[in-house]
Amino acid sequence: MPKVFFATDLHGSEVCWRKFLNAAKFYEADVLICGGDMTGKAMIPIVEENGHYTVTIASDRQVVSAGEVGDIESQIRRRGYYPLHVTPERLQVLDENADVRKETFRQIMLDGVRRWMDMASEKLRGSGVRLFVCPGNDDEMEVDDVVRESDMVELGEGRMVEIDGFTMISTGWSNHTPWNTHREETEEKLGERIEAMAKQIPDSARAIFNLHCPPYRSGLDEAPAIDSDLKLMHGGRALRPVGSTAVRQAIDKHQPLLSLHGHIHESKGAVKLGKTLSINPGSAYEEGILMAAVINLDAKKGIKSYQLVNG
Amino acid sequence: MADTTMGTAGARPTLFLRNATGLVKAWSTFDAFVYSFWSVNLITLGLYGMSYVYTVPDGQLLAAILVFGLLTTFLVVTYAMLVAVMPRTGGDYAWQSRVLGGGLGFVLSMTGWWFTLFLWAPIYANILVVQFFSPLAYTLGWTGVATFFTSKTGIFVSCLIVLAFVSIVVTLGMETYARIQKVCFWIGLAGLAVVCGLLLFYSQSDFQNAFNREATSLFGAPANAYQGTIDAASKSFGGSSFGTFAFGPLLLLLPWLAFYLLWPNWGATLYGEVRGAKELRKPFWSMFAGLWVTVAMVALVVILINKTIGWNFYQSANAAYWNNLFAVQGAPAPPVPIWPYPVMFAGFLVDNHLFQALLIIVMGLWFFGWAGTLFLSSTRVIFAAAFDRVLPSWAASISAKRRVPYGALILMIVPALVISAIYAYRPDFTSVFLDATAVLALTFLATVVAAIILPWRRKDLYEASPIARYKVAGVPLITVVGVITGLFLLFMLYEWSFNPDNLYGTSLQKTPNSVIYFVATYVVAVVIYVAARIYRSRQGIDLARIHHEIPVE
Repeated sequence: MPKVFFATDLHGSEVCWRKFLNAAKFYEADVLICGGDMTGKAMIPIVEENGHYTVTIASDRQVVSAGEVGDIESQIRRRGYYPLHVTPERLQVLDENADVRKETFRQIMLDGVRRWMDMASEKLRGSGVRLFVCPGNDDEMEVDDVVRESDMVELGEGRMVEIDGFTMISTGWSNHTPWNTHREETEEKLGERIEAMAKQIPDSARAIFNLHCPPYRSGLDEAPAIDSDLKLMHGGRALRPVGSTAVRQAIDKHQPLLSLHGHIHESKGAVKLGKTLSINPGSAYEEGILMAAVINLDAKKGIKSYQLVNG
Repeated sequence: MADTTMGTAGARPTLFLRNATGLVKAWSTFDAFVYSFWSVNLITLGLYGMSYVYTVPDGQLLAAILVFGLLTTFLVVTYAMLVAVMPRTGGDYAWQSRVLGGGLGFVLSMTGWWFTLFLWAPIYANILVVQFFSPLAYTLGWTGVATFFTSKTGIFVSCLIVLAFVSIVVTLGMETYARIQKVCFWIGLAGLAVVCGLLLFYSQSDFQNAFNREATSLFGAPANAYQGTIDAASKSFGGSSFGTFAFGPLLLLLPWLAFYLLWPNWGATLYGEVRGAKELRKPFWSMFAGLWVTVAMVALVVILINKTIGWNFYQSANAAYWNNLFAVQGAPAPPVPIWPYPVMFAGFLVDNHLFQALLIIVMGLWFFGWAGTLFLSSTRVIFAAAFDRVLPSWAASISAKRRVPYGALILMIVPALVISAIYAYRPDFTSVFLDATAVLALTFLATVVAAIILPWRRKDLYEASPIARYKVAGVPLITVVGVITGLFLLFMLYEWSFNPDNLYGTSLQKTPNSVIYFVATYVVAVVIYVAARIYRSRQGIDLARIHHEIPVE
């Protein structure tokens, strides 16, 4: 019976993606599932000028030689950011022109996803391991096309797939957030999106709901409260449930065997919602730590065991 | 595509951000400072802990406070660096388990943050009695109420009140309590300003007259209770001078000061929930400011106590109270049978009982704004262990409606009730409670050891962190500050455990009950971990693998 390794919200951290691919061998997993939000949130310019390169990482300004640039790029990718080689003139254009900035960001992100797909093919080809990716609300729509091009990685979004006798449905869409990201919609529409897939499931007792957004008031959706200016309230100690009511209703109604979530990095946990085991492994992509869940599925027991791991 | 934003340093942009979930603006360092400031609470823990320094009469308290502040700064730097490397919920547990190993991390952190925190409930209760219930009751003329809280049942009731208060706070949620804390913070500071103002503007002779007046009025003491207190203490205490300075006694004061000044890092178990904590300067400045603002305030309060209350009288009052309570041979009851509360003494300077009561109530906010977080850090550590499957998953359960972490709360409250009953009805277990500071210091020491070896044990994490660039003569700064902090903690642990005069009431040879209790807690922790390993193994879960690094290449 399949052993599933689930991680989510890698946000461009190449170290985490490499660990994710290696987890198949490390945990002897048969199925890898990446729950969404693959792409990074920032690009860091490496400015080439007079034969040297200037870069600022975590408020630390460094001037390095050409031989050291590779190491700098690795540091940037490790944090989930994209290194961007520019001249001072190009930097100025990016600074002043929002459209150029957007396009540059889009290109560098898609290149990053292609790079990851290539790594997956190289690592998993011939291993028998299946790898599912379902882009999340922070991932642009074009990411799906890049994933579809891969011969090793299967796109999960909007599909029902069979995994050794179990059925999985997936979506990376979320309810609305204060950041107005790429895959957000009303609870009503999100509910319709999930229901369109869920109603095709032959047996809920062998179903996996891979839904990026966690269910509302499940304990997997507690995020620090922010004010209208996006500032954390009460030093980040005030937590609010921000999950989706549509996701919650879908789980309550269909009672799948397992539901996998992400989106809220701080809200790591595993809870039982009726007959459903719901898991959010959390995310610590900035430190290069891969937070994940290992789930042993069993034909008779459904879920034989599960474990939240940090690697 | 969503709009992009931009970070800059100087004239050039250094970072381009796009709109994405979770990108919030600056975390308020002030909020974290308030948490740290509460943790080294100069009124509740501070005045209570310093009431024992009469045991080192030649120790210069002001100098000792500054030395302690300096040494604890290294602890602050160590913890801030750990937060910057691994801003994980669970703090000590997360760091120890990931650097030292899961089993060792579990045993060392659980004994400190779980089993030892039970002991703090009665300590909090005692502080509530001596700083709030008793002085308020005496001031209002409710002598029966005041004496009730000195009885065994009264002590147990005070423990129940503290546990009920903590439970209510947890049930209300941290957001509500954070609001309450802010109100308590500002009103408490105003109250402290009034106390300092009274001590500043009145003279020592004014205080002597005021003390003698209120001693008779409130406590029925004979005339000149000021001198009577000094005389009562003199049977078991040789007196103390504020100007005395000797290095050895100064060092002996440090373990007493640890009772309140060792905790600026108390909130470190929560930093994992705070975005922005990865930047070293934020956790550092919040803890550093919490520590040094407190050190400055304590220094001011100590100087004012010396000026107006009189150092020898204040220490004599402490000696007379504690020596009589602990039945030290030849120690008579002091004429004013109440813990020498400097706030109450300052209130005496105004000949109005209503004002005095109001001042005690206002200063009581230092307790109520602080005590609610008694088990907060513990619940986070229990959560972390439950997520790792070492503890059962119900330990991390949260109620659906009010978001109450009832699993962790039960694991804290129920044992705390038992421990409170032992505290109230079995005085021979007193030393166990005095050890509460030492066991937490041992937990900190384990974390410090993890910090010292971090650059080698978790090289990848260290080198990718913002602290990797800080070195001293080629040695990682976290290792250097960790070694200094470790030596500081080892010195205090040695004194607590082996002081030949049993100065702190915790010397191992003189306190067999403590030794049994704490050995038992470590054994229980080991048993829980081994049992979890075996049980999870049967479920196909290898606990040893939880913290293993998945290869990158």
